[in-house]
Amino acid sequence: MKRSNEAFWWSLFSAGGIMAALFIPAFIVLTGLVLPFTTGGDADLGYERAHQVVTWWPVRIVLFVVVFLSLFHCAHRIRHILMDLGLRAVSTVLAALCYSGAAAGTVAALFVLGTL
Amino acid sequence: MDDLLRLRGNLDDTMAKRMITLEVFRYRPDGDDEATIQDYRVPYHEHWVVLDALNWIKDHADGTLSFRWSCRMGVCGSCGMMVNGEPKLTCAVFLKDYYPSPIRVEPLINFPVERDLVISMDDFLAKLQAVKPWLIRDEEEPPEGEYLQTPSQLAQYQQFSMCINCMLCYAACPEIEGIPDFLGPAAIALAHRYNLDSRDQGQSQRQEALGSEEALWGCTFVGECTAVCPKNVDPAGAIQQAKVASTKDWYRNVLLPWGKR
Repeated sequence: MKRSNEAFWWSLFSAGGIMAALFIPAFIVLTGLVLPFTTGGDADLGYERAHQVVTWWPVRIVLFVVVFLSLFHCAHRIRHILMDLGLRAVSTVLAALCYSGAAAGTVAALFVLGTL
Repeated sequence: MDDLLRLRGNLDDTMAKRMITLEVFRYRPDGDDEATIQDYRVPYHEHWVVLDALNWIKDHADGTLSFRWSCRMGVCGSCGMMVNGEPKLTCAVFLKDYYPSPIRVEPLINFPVERDLVISMDDFLAKLQAVKPWLIRDEEEPPEGEYLQTPSQLAQYQQFSMCINCMLCYAACPEIEGIPDFLGPAAIALAHRYNLDSRDQGQSQRQEALGSEEALWGCTFVGECTAVCPKNVDPAGAIQQAKVASTKDWYRNVLLPWGKR
């Protein structure tokens, strides 16, 4: 039976969209509003608290999954926008560029989150 | 039909004679080198739809104008055209919504034009046939009476079965023109409709048409197909559901290659 591997990339795109929509607004509220307003403007205290939260292993894992899937979501969307803009003939090259970019970002996220 | 129009017209003639301009796309392959726009002054009646105006032109002003129509009541799906640039069933758009501005009537975009407002459906019909939009059974041995179905099994696919093949979704879709292999909204929605049907066993046969690189995945969920659908089929929703089904099938195949199918 014929199966297109597009299904795999689309599954990352789809999961990434859900993760981004679900978690990123919450992250913005936490890091942009809750942390600064509850530390009374003390920058060092803000850093301490944020560091404590981020280095807790469950948070590291959630952050990694959100970053990884969101990157592949973006890569897939950018690839399809470029294809729609007339670059359909080189879609394989676009796929290689976009997804390897997302993979590089994923490795970087793994490194940063693992060595914090 | 003619008498009915005249009767309707006479009623309005007691009022001041109001007119509206229709700017109609003309192309005759036997004479014209290229398409032109021809203006017609048509009597304005509040209860007239664009199709009534086209029929008035055909009967009273210019018998050479060609267009498809049949039922006049949004069932047959023949009279789809671009009305002021939007894909519409011309039997369902009223002159009063445009009056006194002129109305531009053109053939559905994304299709080759055969003549005037008549488009060629060949590509669409080939795609429709490719997804086998009918009930497929492994062995055709009808049970006693009918194949029974519960109301919840019916609800699974009923919305997607309302399609009248009017092709407005193909004119609305920005992906159709650039991706020849993309099956398009109505064909995918109908494939999905039969895949969801509890009486059907033809999913693997339909996958032959749906499984290629662009057939299903040409869709980037713009959603215009659903916005223009006159029967509220929601083809965009059907396509996304079909993508989820295809994705599950892909993972099942990769993770359990020895499994069923």
